[in-house]
Amino acid sequence: MILNDILGRDVMDSNGERLGEVSDVRFALDAAPAQLLSRARMVGIVVSPRTATSFLGYERQDLSQPWPVAQLLRWRHRGSFLVLWEDIAVMGPDGVRLRSEFTAYESTLPR
Amino acid sequence: MSKAKPIPAQDIKPAPRPAGLVLDAQLHLLDRQILDVDGVPVTTVDDVELSGPAPDEPIPEGAEAPHITGLLTGPVLGTRIFGGRPPSSRFIRIPWDMVAGVDTVVSLGVRANSLDASWVERWMRDQVIAKIPGGRHDPE
Repeated sequence: MILNDILGRDVMDSNGERLGEVSDVRFALDAAPAQLLSRARMVGIVVSPRTATSFLGYERQDLSQPWPVAQLLRWRHRGSFLVLWEDIAVMGPDGVRLRSEFTAYESTLPR
Repeated sequence: MSKAKPIPAQDIKPAPRPAGLVLDAQLHLLDRQILDVDGVPVTTVDDVELSGPAPDEPIPEGAEAPHITGLLTGPVLGTRIFGGRPPSSRFIRIPWDMVAGVDTVVSLGVRANSLDASWVERWMRDQVIAKIPGGRHDPE
């Protein structure tokens, strides 16, 4: 599967209600060490209720300067959340559908 | 486009913290420059290839999470402007096994000459630069 097939697609819950768009896909390098980098496992998708575009990831990091830009981008992405891979039922160019008992997690990046 | 159903703030829980480095594809990978082991620019990350799942097919519960199999580069200028993406066959693949680090640039652990992605550089060197008088040696 190619990543741009899912970025920006609609995210629905199990009842078909729209929750937002795929703003990003999160990976973690927590597999066994390889020769160079370890395998990048997909953790989940970041869902933004308003816009799929992200600008420098202000809303996912502790960036606060320049102050007006940080405030504007945080406000634009308010309500963003992370959905783990285990809670994704279908994923593809037609959109993403989540499982019925999915859990929404904070989308901020760990420091 | 219908308005998105909001998730109440109290239902958004603190995320589990993975053990290793965490990368967001748009923030840390896409459009980053790729340098080879000697710091020579190779290309940029135009797309990322995943090991699964089958597009638009139901994912069985407990299925193993997909991983990045390779970084893709290709003729994306037209599709960036007009939408869509080039067919998969037009992308040149750089396997993830060759990636040595992800920072402000993506660094590889191999030399650019061994990669398909740098064919334009080689073609320019052999077909254009080499035919210019003095183009086959360092300046004296």
